[in-house]
Amino acid sequence: MMVEDRHSIRIDEAKCVGCVICMKACPTRAIRLRNGKAVIMSERCVDCGECYRVCTHQAVIPLTTSFSDLKRFDYTVAVPSPSIYTQFGWEVMPNQILLALKKIGFDHVYDVAWMCEMVNAALEIYIRRNPNPKPKISTVCPSVVRLVTYLYPDLSGHIIPIESPRELAAKLLRGQISERLDIPPDRIGIIHITSCPAKMISINEPIGLSRSHLDGAISLRDIYGRLLDAVKDVTEDIILQQSSGVGLGWALAGGEVNGINMDNCLSVSGVSDVIQILDSVESGKLKGIEYLECLICPAGCVGGPQTVENRHLAKKRGEILVKMFGEKSRVSRKMINRLYEDGFFAFEKRVQAHPFPPLDKDPSRAIDKRKMIEEIVPILGGRECGACGAPDCKTLAKDIVMGEAKIEDCVFIDDSR
Amino acid sequence: MAGEPLFRKRFTVEGGDFARAGEASVEIKNILKEVGYDPDVVRRVAIASYEAEMNVVMYGEGGTVDFTMEPREVLLVIEDEGPGIPDIGLAMKEGWSTATDEMREMGFGAGMGLPNMKKNSDHLKIHTRKPRGTRVEMIIRSHPPEGHDG
Repeated sequence: MMVEDRHSIRIDEAKCVGCVICMKACPTRAIRLRNGKAVIMSERCVDCGECYRVCTHQAVIPLTTSFSDLKRFDYTVAVPSPSIYTQFGWEVMPNQILLALKKIGFDHVYDVAWMCEMVNAALEIYIRRNPNPKPKISTVCPSVVRLVTYLYPDLSGHIIPIESPRELAAKLLRGQISERLDIPPDRIGIIHITSCPAKMISINEPIGLSRSHLDGAISLRDIYGRLLDAVKDVTEDIILQQSSGVGLGWALAGGEVNGINMDNCLSVSGVSDVIQILDSVESGKLKGIEYLECLICPAGCVGGPQTVENRHLAKKRGEILVKMFGEKSRVSRKMINRLYEDGFFAFEKRVQAHPFPPLDKDPSRAIDKRKMIEEIVPILGGRECGACGAPDCKTLAKDIVMGEAKIEDCVFIDDSR
Repeated sequence: MAGEPLFRKRFTVEGGDFARAGEASVEIKNILKEVGYDPDVVRRVAIASYEAEMNVVMYGEGGTVDFTMEPREVLLVIEDEGPGIPDIGLAMKEGWSTATDEMREMGFGAGMGLPNMKKNSDHLKIHTRKPRGTRVEMIIRSHPPEGHDG
């Protein structure tokens, strides 16, 4: 169905010691231990990065773009996640950080928070014109979008078909720069600076586009050292930051919602809270909510696994920046309306649901297998230890009926049975 | 094969336990997904079972949710030992509720329970017994899961 190495994460077998930590942390139960090593089941992985976050042996490797890849292009552009502004302490201003990105080698740097502000206005237009089904679900977090299409396929129609600010920024810039500087579009490298590896999956395999407008995503962590040196003595005097606090707020959970001029919008962050709220949507429990901003990382992108700063400090810094630059949007509504009518913000294709395959193609056999799971679970130890190589007893039972594991894999099973 | 359901599972629901309320309906929903039911059927069963489960938690003082998969339908039987429904005609009206202020503060008691159950099931039957006890039966017709003939 899909290419194999599309994911943003891989396991380094040499470093993996076969402990159960990543397997237990995985919200979609996509990890098993096979021959003493963690294995990611590609078709179940939503690229949330929880395994990367918890691994204590540096065995989970994020597959983000390397800085040296920039050499492939004639002209390079950085489109950094607004979370970058929260990573350099209390003295360094957003504009300095953008200038530092130029200094370390990018030919052009764009303030994505400005595009966030534009997208805010577009979201509002879309929600007002298309009130149903409620609630609309944000497309900013690539892991959430995948979680919905895999685990909550019937909610796929709730995903708002408005592209993310990073993609829209890249689309805009490629056209503008190519024209202005007469460079072939494919010789321009437009690179996202990311707080999480998940952005790679949305580049490798976009949901709403036939092809991503971005050429890669560099981890903030990978270039942090260079940037830290560069921000100290930025001398250039150009204003690159255009955004107000509305766009800057997108670094934080709640930023998107705050920028929408409607009351019934909700922000939820952190993987278990996101799963819980999606269950509520599916049960029809979340009545009256128009828009749901869901972010896999706790506190939003400032809590991304490839950030550097403590997320509580980063959150505070973000809040201060929002206040400092004001909560009044600077974008022209007239311009947004025109771009909206031109389809600038819209997805190019419909969101497809990708439900996990059923236990069996034949429905009566699927039900039989589900019955067998009910019978096997009580026989297993119930200690949820993971020693069998599955994250919990129920998942082992499922693997057994699917022929992927044996009942003897359970270390607590009574041999004399 | 006659009389023997394809799959049956019974859940116990504690009265007043709002922290765990909704767990049975989430598990029912997940079972249907694993077996490969049509998303629309999954959604209807999820909403119907959630509302019924919440009624047991809020008013029923505890009870059971009985979930059965049949070849062409999903059957939900919810029983509790609560005080019953005083006026079913009123209870079927959208917005009508006997929820306490406490329940409303927690976001429940919008008066959509029975109307939602009716809307999302093909058959709804309520027996309310005196002095106590309510039995709710719901049938949600399903095309057999994908790939099945007929």
